[in-house]
Amino acid sequence: MAQKGTSGGGTRLFYILLAIVAVAGIASIAYTLKGSGGAATKPVDLSGLENPRQLYEMATAVKQGPDDAPVKVVEFADYSCPACRQFDMQIMPVLKQKFLASGKVQFIFYDFPLIEIHPHSFLAARAARCAGDQGKFWEYQDALFRSQPSWAENQAAPVSDFEDAAAKLGLDKGAFSRCLKSDKYADIVTANRKLAEQLGIDSTPTVLVNNRRWMGQTPQSLEDLIQSDIPANAG
Amino acid sequence: MPALDDGAAPPVALRMAIAVLALVGLFIAVYLTLHAFGLTGLVACTTGGGCERVQSSRFSAIGGVPVALIGAAGYAALFVVAWLGTTPRFATGARLPRLLLALAFIAFAFSAYLTALEAWVIHAWCPYCVTSAILATLIFLLSLGELRMLRRRPGGRISRSTNP
Repeated sequence: MAQKGTSGGGTRLFYILLAIVAVAGIASIAYTLKGSGGAATKPVDLSGLENPRQLYEMATAVKQGPDDAPVKVVEFADYSCPACRQFDMQIMPVLKQKFLASGKVQFIFYDFPLIEIHPHSFLAARAARCAGDQGKFWEYQDALFRSQPSWAENQAAPVSDFEDAAAKLGLDKGAFSRCLKSDKYADIVTANRKLAEQLGIDSTPTVLVNNRRWMGQTPQSLEDLIQSDIPANAG
Repeated sequence: MPALDDGAAPPVALRMAIAVLALVGLFIAVYLTLHAFGLTGLVACTTGGGCERVQSSRFSAIGGVPVALIGAAGYAALFVVAWLGTTPRFATGARLPRLLLALAFIAFAFSAYLTALEAWVIHAWCPYCVTSAILATLIFLLSLGELRMLRRRPGGRISRSTNP
């Protein structure tokens, strides 16, 4: 009904406008809830990463081993990369047993999702960090690499595969899903990828031992390189 | 019911404008609330990466309650009050313009605080938050204009008399 101060036509226009806003608002929100469940699956556009200091501050590794370890082993890896899977399944157990357990090595992991060839590696990198929220980054990373053949070639984003993997590890599935289906850690993974690019890294896995790139192909050559940097009196 | 003196026409058109703006703000706040609860992603939120940084900052929640949810509640209240102000039953109420102005002022002040945080503390801009701040400012100016308009009208002093 028209009021004083406005006409019947004005009232009609008012309700038409409200209806348009309501329909557009509901449609926009419904659209955002579709697809990969809202999970961030690609690098985000971050400003300021051209600045080396800001890039260094935002890029964040996950580490295991003491900060004062004589040898720092840095890996840049892609969860969809078969060679990274091989590194995780064959070389990491040796590193853990021989060097990490004794505190001689600190292992530093950076994500380097090669999304141009591996569309799910960005999401996988975020998933591992979401598992890290519950203290199981490394266990989840192993699970991702182990199950890589079952999800890496999926057409759709393997959100449910990653949720199932979290449940199998005994993680709080709800909290994990909320993290995965958001853009949490999208900035860090993006920055890590940018850091790799800035360092001129062009393949995965790229492994640096005290800032020297490991070019060998065998576990033994990596062991030798690490061993050569461990002081004789250590351990 | 409290009423305007001397049949001063309530500025219903302004309230309609406020209601439309508040509804737009409500949807933006609901979207950001869903985002805060991890139910939406980056679909339309990548300009400069500001939303990710703003939404993941420690200022994105107050006492565990997402700021976006507080905003949604505020816009919902503004929408209801402004919309009621366009209906015959409440249009001439004297309390309504004051309530509308009070809500609009709170929304404006809260937005100003959040915008200042974006500019000087978080150093990132979320386009949705900026849009919301603009809406809150417009709503505040309109509700201020409404009250001034009521006071300037002949006999338009707001009283607490009963509407016949």
